[in-house]
Amino acid sequence: MYNRKIRGPLVEGNKTMGQITGDVIFPLDTNPGLWWYIAFGISSLAALFGGYAIYITVSKGIGTWGVNNTVGWGWAIVNFVWWIGIGHAGTAFSIFLLILRQKWRTSINRSAEAMTVFAVMCAALFPALHMGRIWLAFYIFPYPNTRGPLWVNFNSPLFWDFTAISAYLLISASFWYLGMLPDLGTIRDKTVSKIKKAIYGFFSLGWTGSSRQWIRFESLSFVLGGIAAVLVVSVHSIVATDFAVGIEPGWHSTIFPPFFVIGAIFSGFAMVMTLMVLIRKIYKLTDYITDNHMDAIARILIFISLIMGTAYLTEVFIAWYSGNEFEMFTFFKNRMTGDYTLQFWAMIVCNAFIPQLFWFRKIRRNWVGLLSISLIINLGMWFERYNIVITSLSKDYLPSNWVSYHPTVIDIGVFVGTIGLFATGVLLFMRFVPMMAISELKSVAHIGNKKED
Amino acid sequence: MTRKFKIGIFDDEVKFISTIRSLQEEKLKIFDVFMPYPVHEVFHLLKRKSHLPTAAYFFGLFGILATLGFLYFASVINWPVVYGGKPFNSFPSFIVVTIVVTILTVTIGSLALFSARSKLFPGRDNTIFDLRATDDKFLIVVDTDLEDISIAGRVGNIMEEQGAIEVIDKEFEKVET
Repeated sequence: MYNRKIRGPLVEGNKTMGQITGDVIFPLDTNPGLWWYIAFGISSLAALFGGYAIYITVSKGIGTWGVNNTVGWGWAIVNFVWWIGIGHAGTAFSIFLLILRQKWRTSINRSAEAMTVFAVMCAALFPALHMGRIWLAFYIFPYPNTRGPLWVNFNSPLFWDFTAISAYLLISASFWYLGMLPDLGTIRDKTVSKIKKAIYGFFSLGWTGSSRQWIRFESLSFVLGGIAAVLVVSVHSIVATDFAVGIEPGWHSTIFPPFFVIGAIFSGFAMVMTLMVLIRKIYKLTDYITDNHMDAIARILIFISLIMGTAYLTEVFIAWYSGNEFEMFTFFKNRMTGDYTLQFWAMIVCNAFIPQLFWFRKIRRNWVGLLSISLIINLGMWFERYNIVITSLSKDYLPSNWVSYHPTVIDIGVFVGTIGLFATGVLLFMRFVPMMAISELKSVAHIGNKKED
Repeated sequence: MTRKFKIGIFDDEVKFISTIRSLQEEKLKIFDVFMPYPVHEVFHLLKRKSHLPTAAYFFGLFGILATLGFLYFASVINWPVVYGGKPFNSFPSFIVVTIVVTILTVTIGSLALFSARSKLFPGRDNTIFDLRATDDKFLIVVDTDLEDISIAGRVGNIMEEQGAIEVIDKEFEKVET
C-alpha cells in the first residue's frame, strides 16, 4: 500500500479493535484531573467577562465600542473574520480529506469538526452584536412581514453572509453529529452506568451497526461531504465579498475571495494543530495522532503559507501596477510604512516567514515547535484581518475623514469572552464526547501495520 | 410472539466474510449482519444499495427551483425595488443565495430521509443482538424461526466450521431494526 511508504502506520502499536474502543473512551470514564477543572474555571471566567461585555453592549449600545463614523467596523469584524476563518478548518479537514480519500484524517476530523462548530458560534455573535439593536436581528430573515412586505436586499453580500453562516453552522453541526452516531452507540453498549447508558442511548438514536445502517451512513457522509465542500469555499468567499464590493482602498479587489478562503484554511489548520498537539500530549494519544499526522498538517501549512505570501505580494504589486494613487497610498504609506507598520509586518512575518521553519523535519516533529508556530500563525491571521479592516477604513479618500481607532475594554471583553466560550466548548467536548472517530479508526488500524503490506 | 435467531460472532473480518459466502452458497437466508465499521465486501455480498444520492439530487433540484422561484417572486413580483440601477431580476446576484439554500435543502432532506429509512431518531430502541457488535466483533444473524427445523443446525455448523468464536441462540419478543 502506498499509504505506508509515505506516512507510516495510521495507528501505531498494532491495536486490536477492543483496545481502540478502550483508549478512545477512556477519558470519558475517568476523572479528567485537576488541570481540566482549572482550565474549565479560567475559560468560564473569560466567558463570563464576555457575557458582561455583551450585556453592556446590548444595554448601552455599540457606542461603548471603539468604533466611530469612519472606522465603522472595528474589532468586532476583525474577530468575526478571524473566528469564521478558524471555523473553516474542521469542515475543510473532514470534508476535503474525505472526498480526496485521505485516510489520515480519521484521528483528527472529530476534534476539527467540534472546533468548527464552536468557532462558528463565536463568529456569528459579532455581526449580530454589531447590528446594535440585537433584538431586531430577526429583520434579516426574509419573511412576509408587516412592513410592506419589504424584503431584504437579496443582492447584498451581507445578506448572503447571513444565509451562508447560518447554513454552515447547521450543516457542520449535523455532519459532526452524524459522524458521532456509531461511536455514541459504542459507548452505550460499553458503559456499565445506567445513567450513561440512557443518555448515550438517547443520543445514539438507536444505532446498531447493521449493514443497512452502515451503507446509508456511508452514502450520506459522501453526499453531505460533497455538497458541504462547496459551502466551505462559498462561506469565506462571501465574507471576502463583503469587503470586495466596498469601494474602500485596499478592499476593492478581485483577489479577495480566493485569498480569504486560503487564509481561512490556513488559520483553521493552525488551530487544529494547536489542539492536536495539546490533546495528544495531555491524553497520551500519540499512537493515534502520530508524529506522521502532525508532519502532514505541518506540510500543508508550509504550502498554504507560500500561497499566503504570494497573495500578499500580489496585492502590493497590483496596488503599484494599477497606478491608482489611493491604492498605492493604502499599501505603501498606510500599511508597509505609517501608523499600521507593526500590524502589517507582524502579518507578513507570522504568516509568510515563520511557517517556513516547517521545512525542517526536526521542527515538524517537536511539539514545542509545532505548538508555538501554530499559535504564531493564528496571531498572524488576526493581524491580517486587523490590517484589512482597520487600515483601509481609518484613512480613506478624504483626509478630513481620517480617524484612528482604538478598542475599548468592552471590545476586548467580547473578544476574550469568545475565546472563553470556545475553550469551554472544547473542554466539554474532550470530557463528554469521544475525541476520535472510533469506527473509522478501526477501519484504518491495519494500514501500514500488516506484515503482508 | 417470540422470534428465534442464531447469532454467529466473529472477531476476524476475513472469517466473517467467508461465512457469509458459505451461508449464501447453501441458500441460507441471512437476516442481517452487524459490524463495528463498514466492510464494503459485505454490501456487495448482501446486495445492499443506497438510493440516497439519487434522492439528494432531487432535493437539490427542488432547492434550486424553490429558491430561484422565491427570489424572483420577492424581487420582481411582490415588491420590486431598484438597487443601484440593476434590473429587478438580477439573476447573477441570486446565484449565491441559491447555492447556499440548495445545499441546506439537500442536507436537511437527506438527513431526514436517512433518519426515516434507517429508523434512527431520538428515543428509538432498535434491537441489539449482541453488545459487542459496536465494539470489536462482527455478527451474522440468521432468522431460525422457520418451518424447516434443520436449518438452525446447518447454520450453526457452517458458522462454527468457518471459525466463529461463539454461536448463540437468542429469542426476542419484538424485533426492530
